[in-house]
Amino acid sequence: MIPESHFLILGAILFSIGLFGALTQRSIIGILMSIELILNAACINFVVFDKFLGNSDGLGQIFVLLVIAIAAATLVVGLALVIAVYRSSKTVSAEDINLMKW
Amino acid sequence: MVKYIHLIPLFPFLAFAINIVFGRRLKKISALLAISACVISFVLSVLTFLSCANGNTISYTFIKWLDFKNTSLDFGVMADPLSCMMLLVVSIVGILVQIYSVSYMRNDTRFSRYFAYISLFMASMLALVLADNFIMFYICWEAVGLCSYLLISFWFERASAAKAGLKAFITTRIGDTGLFIGILILFSLTGTFNFNALAQHTSGNGAMFGVAAVLIFCGAAGKSAQFPLHVWLPDAMEGPTPVSALIHAATMVAAGVYLIARVFWLFLGNQPALMLVACIGAATAFFAASIATVQNDLKKILAYSTISQLGFMMMGLGVGGYSEGTFHLMTHAFGKALLFLCAGNVIHTARTLDIRRMGGLFSKLKITGITFIIAGSSISGLPPFSGFWSKDDIILETLHSGHPFLFSLSIITSLLTAFYIFRMIFLVFFAKACLPEHAKESLSALTWPLIILAFFAVFAGFLGSPFMNYAFQKFFYSGGGHALVVTNSDYFMMVFLACVSLAGILVAYSFYVLNNKILPLPLRAKFSGLYNILYNKYYLDEIYEFLFIKPCLRIANAVLKFDANFVIEGTVNIITRAVSIFSRLLRAAQTGFISNYLLAALLGVLFMVVIKSAGIKICVFQF
Amino acid sequence: MSGLIQQLNNIGIPQENIIKVTFYLIAAVTCFFALRIVISRNVFHRALFLALTLIGVACVYLYLGAEYLAVMQILIYVGAIVALFVFVIMLTTKIQNRAIRQLNSQVLISVVVTSALLCLLISIIRTSPWHKPVLPPAGLLNISQLGRSLALNYVLPFEVVSLILLAALVGAIAIGKAKKE
Repeated sequence: MIPESHFLILGAILFSIGLFGALTQRSIIGILMSIELILNAACINFVVFDKFLGNSDGLGQIFVLLVIAIAAATLVVGLALVIAVYRSSKTVSAEDINLMKW
Repeated sequence: MVKYIHLIPLFPFLAFAINIVFGRRLKKISALLAISACVISFVLSVLTFLSCANGNTISYTFIKWLDFKNTSLDFGVMADPLSCMMLLVVSIVGILVQIYSVSYMRNDTRFSRYFAYISLFMASMLALVLADNFIMFYICWEAVGLCSYLLISFWFERASAAKAGLKAFITTRIGDTGLFIGILILFSLTGTFNFNALAQHTSGNGAMFGVAAVLIFCGAAGKSAQFPLHVWLPDAMEGPTPVSALIHAATMVAAGVYLIARVFWLFLGNQPALMLVACIGAATAFFAASIATVQNDLKKILAYSTISQLGFMMMGLGVGGYSEGTFHLMTHAFGKALLFLCAGNVIHTARTLDIRRMGGLFSKLKITGITFIIAGSSISGLPPFSGFWSKDDIILETLHSGHPFLFSLSIITSLLTAFYIFRMIFLVFFAKACLPEHAKESLSALTWPLIILAFFAVFAGFLGSPFMNYAFQKFFYSGGGHALVVTNSDYFMMVFLACVSLAGILVAYSFYVLNNKILPLPLRAKFSGLYNILYNKYYLDEIYEFLFIKPCLRIANAVLKFDANFVIEGTVNIITRAVSIFSRLLRAAQTGFISNYLLAALLGVLFMVVIKSAGIKICVFQF
Repeated sequence: MSGLIQQLNNIGIPQENIIKVTFYLIAAVTCFFALRIVISRNVFHRALFLALTLIGVACVYLYLGAEYLAVMQILIYVGAIVALFVFVIMLTTKIQNRAIRQLNSQVLISVVVTSALLCLLISIIRTSPWHKPVLPPAGLLNISQLGRSLALNYVLPFEVVSLILLAALVGAIAIGKAKKE
């Protein structure tokens, strides 16, 4: 019914929007949200190929489960870092945290 | 034919090598080495002379150095009458001066280095007179100049000595440049450096040969202190007195005369060049003699006398007198060396160089005084001493070759020569005594060489005199291809010249002995302008300083400033500035913003994807 | 729901078309919400739109026949992760800074590059030879098959992920702990 390329195009659009957000957000939390979006776009790809390449044993879906778990873990650590940074410098703006500048 | 001639310069060179390396340990033995090496060379020179006595020329090559397509550079020797005469003169004077130096330099800290330098000089000079091609000749010419520099500035702790050495080297260098260009012109015209082969080219006497002759004379003028390159010789008196005797009186300065004689065929074919030689020689002779009449420094008088006599030699060669000029070279060598060695004794005794402060030394220094008078008479041209015969020959030649102006100039110069020589003698030995009481005659090592040289000064001249049937001239002309000029004995001229010399002596006598310096003073007051010009050497040094030395130094300073401040600093600054600009550019990439880094990463990935999809291969990274 | 589809079928609209239309609708809405994530002024709105986007993705999973995955997505992502986001937002945002600009200076370049990337991806997707669209295949995965493969074939990644979660837990506590004074 719905050709797989359309799913893939949806995934591509979501990926681009997430990428745009990652590049342009000022707040770290916004960057993290955009990364979540990127991850989800990739997960759509996995599930699409899992369905459209016949006779799979569910590897795509399992992969997505694991991705969700790992994304959660990443996010947990990342947000803990955000809180720690906020505690020390009272800001979460990505432009103000530039200690790595020369 | 036994080939031993090329060993003649070898022994002094060995002495030099040993003395330079081991001199500090050898100390006094270095003198023994040097003198014995010279004695061996003298013996070999005598053997060479004997084998050339019939007039045959020996020449052979002993080292093949470089081989080019059309020509080759070798080291070879040529022994013809000219070389043999020079060999004998150089080795005799060298040995005697070195014996004198043993005593003169006995308290010097650099004793062995002195003898090393002297040995190097002897080796170079002997090789110079034996050289059979221009390249070897030029090498030895430069070596001789180097030794002169080393020995003039031997006491280099004195700033004046160091400057004098530098002045000598640079002035002769100017002449050497001309000489080298002349050599190269000759090579380009004939394709060879060898003297014998060049002499065959007498047919090609064009303008270029004349140019080459003039340039070669430039080199000779530098070494033999002709005007205008004579300014180094009076300053060279800063060196030890034996050095002045050996190098600047007898041998090195004679190298220029030897050069002209060696390539005499070149000058014979170009009369303008020959006239140039004669005129400059005559001018130098008169010029230097006039300066010498008013000098008060003993060694400076002798220096100007040397310049004047060298002018005589050049004039003698310039009017076509091949044997006359070289004969005068021989007699002058003995006489002037003797004069310098005596002067060394006098200075040591009187503790001053100023002849106005000496006087009455004759009673104390008998041997020195007698030999001094003999030498002075020889130089002044007083018969029967050797200088008379040679000077007479030259002046006769000017008259017979039809140069009346040069003839009269040389008569005046002879008068002046006799005057200043005997002025010196009277003031030093016979004037009112004003010296310390403990003065006495010097050691025997310092007097025996004087006696031997005096012997030569007296009797060497007879070789070219009518008494021995002009043996010298005959010997000379038998070697070369020059036509023998019949030398008739012009007795009238001989008497005339003897009277000229006596007149000069009488004038000096009346000025300095009879009136005891009273008469000269009013004369000086009357001609004060002329006196000042003569006393200040015609202000030539000052003119040179103004015209050449100061602008040269200014240019050198400007170039130095440009180089140091602009080129070197500029280069370093450009490098540092480039590095800092580049680093500032690169630093801009380290913003610290995560977003920038993400963007950079994304751009990199896109770049790679585009490359892949375009199918471009990038070295090994083919995705 | 099936009654509605049945009624629509009776009218004459085939089932496929309904599925297609609703899919495109949901896809468009999801994209819109995703865009609102990055362009909202209010940070809380951003979190809201994130949740809505994730729900939309779960719907897409439904269209692909991965029901268990869709439910898991909603439970974990929307239920836990977005809540976590809201917590952190509450902790770190000053109330008065809620409405400041949230896009930095790289906007223009990012738009250009991202749209270039999008065009590239879409062109690759469209020019690739895909399979014919198929109905839900015979071997449709159900949850028991999924569970069996998870426990038998892919047990190692499963266990490793549990370790990762443990590590993340410990790490987050260690980093986020307040410093002892």
